[in-house]
Amino acid sequence: MSEVGTSPVVRAHGVRAVEVKVFADAEQVPLLRSFAADIAMRLDFDLDAIEDLRMAVDEACSLLVRAAVPGSALACGFEPGEQVITVRVGVDATGPTPPSADAMGWQILTTLAQGVTERVEPAGGGHRVTIELTSGPAGIDSP
Amino acid sequence: MSTREDAARDKEARDAADIARFRRLAELDPADPARAALRGELVADHVDLARNLARKFDRRGDQLEDLVQVATIGLIKAVDRFEAERGNFYAFAIPTIMGELRRHFRDTGWAVRVPRQLKELHVTVAAGRNELSQRLGRAPKPSELAEHLGLTKEQVYEALVASAGKQGTSLDARLSEPSGDRFGYEDERLAEVDNRRALGPLLAELPEREQRIIVLRFFRGLSQADIARRVGVSQMQVSRLLAKTLERLRAALGEDTLAG
Repeated sequence: MSEVGTSPVVRAHGVRAVEVKVFADAEQVPLLRSFAADIAMRLDFDLDAIEDLRMAVDEACSLLVRAAVPGSALACGFEPGEQVITVRVGVDATGPTPPSADAMGWQILTTLAQGVTERVEPAGGGHRVTIELTSGPAGIDSP
Repeated sequence: MSTREDAARDKEARDAADIARFRRLAELDPADPARAALRGELVADHVDLARNLARKFDRRGDQLEDLVQVATIGLIKAVDRFEAERGNFYAFAIPTIMGELRRHFRDTGWAVRVPRQLKELHVTVAAGRNELSQRLGRAPKPSELAEHLGLTKEQVYEALVASAGKQGTSLDARLSEPSGDRFGYEDERLAEVDNRRALGPLLAELPEREQRIIVLRFFRGLSQADIARRVGVSQMQVSRLLAKTLERLRAALGEDTLAG
């Protein structure tokens, strides 16, 4: 399973919104973080911000992959804006544990992204766990 | 008497013994065989530090032994250059070893065959990045690089993407992924589990600036100078804050294996 869809309408800097769906498996995470970095590059983020986003997406995906129902999908949406990108990652999880329960991983994630929110909601007898993060070229280093 | 206080006292005693040994090393004649023996002993006694730091750079989990060798070279350099008057050996050795590891990543060749033209482009873009970072006081954007270097944006994109090819990922790497249950193996990091579990809450208690410095240093692997620029303080302050924060974390964990 690997699906990529792009928005019909072009967003900022000629970049479209992208939806990617892969197996919720650790080996797919590098693919998603490369997607993130490539989009940020085309949005003309500064190189530090690109690298921060790459690592933040890696961490968010890793947190979710660990919680995912085996064999299920990891859905990742990239929504580019002017000077900002929103990344939404979600999985069907085996339990209702929020990603922030992993103190170290959450720490890293919230340090690297400008804004991070998590959501756990019941879905079809299981749980849907979502992380949404925003990042921009000001990066975490806005003076 | 708590074990934490015991550990802190042990550490102090060990640090003092280290300093005494470094003093002796400085006094011995380079030709004296006792000097070589002491030097070897000092290296051997701190090899855990090199291993610990090497592990932090081993993002793929398949090159640890190579990195331990690089880190050990850094350790030997640190032993040779350390002056006992400077105080704590660790505070000197950690950046020295990290520098060696970082240089290793910068200098080692390309894992993927990349056309020569693209390699040259990569060098040009890397140089442009350094120049512009200096001038702007922040990392440049791809558009700024393109303008500065007289390249098209697509060329800059190509060079940036090609940089990722400097390090390939072994097809076997997936077998050692934490999620992989294809092969059984003993997790080398098992011994660290307690510390890692304990570290999370401790990190969360740190002031925001210290948290950020720790993450940038050990997760992103940035140099102190880069961190200083990004956090908006002097490099001296970063160095001081890092030392203070690590000391605090170590004390809270009640031991000194948190060498990096």
